[in-house]
Amino acid sequence: MSEKFDYAKAIAELEEIAKKVENPETKLDDIDALVARSKDLLKQCRDYLRTVKERIDSIEE
Amino acid sequence: MGERDFIDLLELQARIKESVQDAFPGRYWVKAEIASWSPRSNGHCYLSLVQTRGGKSVAESRAMIWKWHYPQLTQFFEETTGQKLQAGITVLVRVQVAFSELYGMSLYIDDIDTAFTLGQQALERKRNIERLQKGGYMEMQKELALPDLPYRLAVITSKTAAGYQDFCNHLLNNPEGYAFQLDLFEALMQGEQAPASIMEALEEAGNKDYDAILILRGGGSELDLQCFDHYELAIAIATCPIPVVTAIGHDKDVHIADMVAHQAVKTPTALADVFLEAYEAQDALLDRLAGRISAALLQLVSRQELRLKSAESSIRSAIQNRIGALEMALQKSIGRISRGLTQKYADVARLSDRAAHRIKFAASARCGEAVSFLALKEALINGSDPRKILGLGYVLVTGKDNKVLKTVDKVAVGDRIGVRFQDGSLLAKVDEVFSERTDKSQTA
Repeated sequence: MSEKFDYAKAIAELEEIAKKVENPETKLDDIDALVARSKDLLKQCRDYLRTVKERIDSIEE
Repeated sequence: MGERDFIDLLELQARIKESVQDAFPGRYWVKAEIASWSPRSNGHCYLSLVQTRGGKSVAESRAMIWKWHYPQLTQFFEETTGQKLQAGITVLVRVQVAFSELYGMSLYIDDIDTAFTLGQQALERKRNIERLQKGGYMEMQKELALPDLPYRLAVITSKTAAGYQDFCNHLLNNPEGYAFQLDLFEALMQGEQAPASIMEALEEAGNKDYDAILILRGGGSELDLQCFDHYELAIAIATCPIPVVTAIGHDKDVHIADMVAHQAVKTPTALADVFLEAYEAQDALLDRLAGRISAALLQLVSRQELRLKSAESSIRSAIQNRIGALEMALQKSIGRISRGLTQKYADVARLSDRAAHRIKFAASARCGEAVSFLALKEALINGSDPRKILGLGYVLVTGKDNKVLKTVDKVAVGDRIGVRFQDGSLLAKVDEVFSERTDKSQTA
């Protein structure tokens, strides 16, 4: 991770993805990328809750 | 200078003592504030009682509790009121007015009315609450919001408090592995110094970038809870810019510190749960989002499957319809062809029958004709045989060129003509010619 992880942003993006996947008008071709992105975001969020942030911040700096 | 009457001091004191004892023979309930409080090594406790008005002392007296009353009296008081007998509190005590020749007047305290103190406390507390309400302090902390993920936590407590270890264990060894940054701000959590000590820690932590400040009493005596009703401490908590969560741990009643705090819980474990639950809520939110996405995905897949199935079944039924139509058309064609063939066959048969008939008929007609013709011919032939005809009396006339004459036209008067009979001929000369057709006659 080169950029600092923004939990709130990630949650907002997940909400958007959920809405898009739920929307029947979303193209099938786009779904794959959305699902892959959601998996990535979910993992990052869950990790974030369980990670000592100070340490991560200092590594990033 | 004459000698004056006098008495010595002891006699004076003895008389005063006697008067005092006469004037105040029994025991009296007296309301007073304890101005000073000094238990001595000899077991007795010396104190001074005062009464103030408008901030000024208007009455003061020495008092003492004998060592045979002191332990029971203080213990009973502290147990009942949760407050230490000490300077600064107003009490209702039963006294015996005593006068000693050596020490002067003193009040011997042998009983204390705890109900009065409780009432006083309640009154004081009520007054404090009212003041805090009026000042808007009760709502200040409630208007602050804990972050969704409170991570940096300042804990104000005594390091040795049993509850602090419980809290740390519960928070940091959580099974989900949520991470927190925990900083300890040590403070006295009981005794007279507690409010000031807590306020100092609160100020220090309040100036730093914490997500929450926790006030954890974490065990110890059930007494000394008075400090959490402390007015200034309440204001310090209320005005702290960071959300304060208290765990003072007393089931009997709610302390003012709890009332002004952002949130109050009873036990160290419950305190840790406040933060763990915030993380669990986020985890649950993530689970919900993941669930929504996978449910939508599932729905999408099943919708596509349905579409495929319905397309497949439409194609299949279209093919079947087509096959059915073709079969029907084929059957119809076969029917028509066979009917046509039958018809044709019948026609042909009929035609051939008719033809055969006609041929036969024609043939037999021809045969008949031929036979009659032959017969006729034969008859003609037979009939035209000149010899036969000549035998009947007819003659054959020939011209100059010996050709048979069939008309008189070519015969002229004077011509020689032959006349043949059946049995001979003769040569004759024409004297006259009569033509029936021209109706003219030639004569020589």
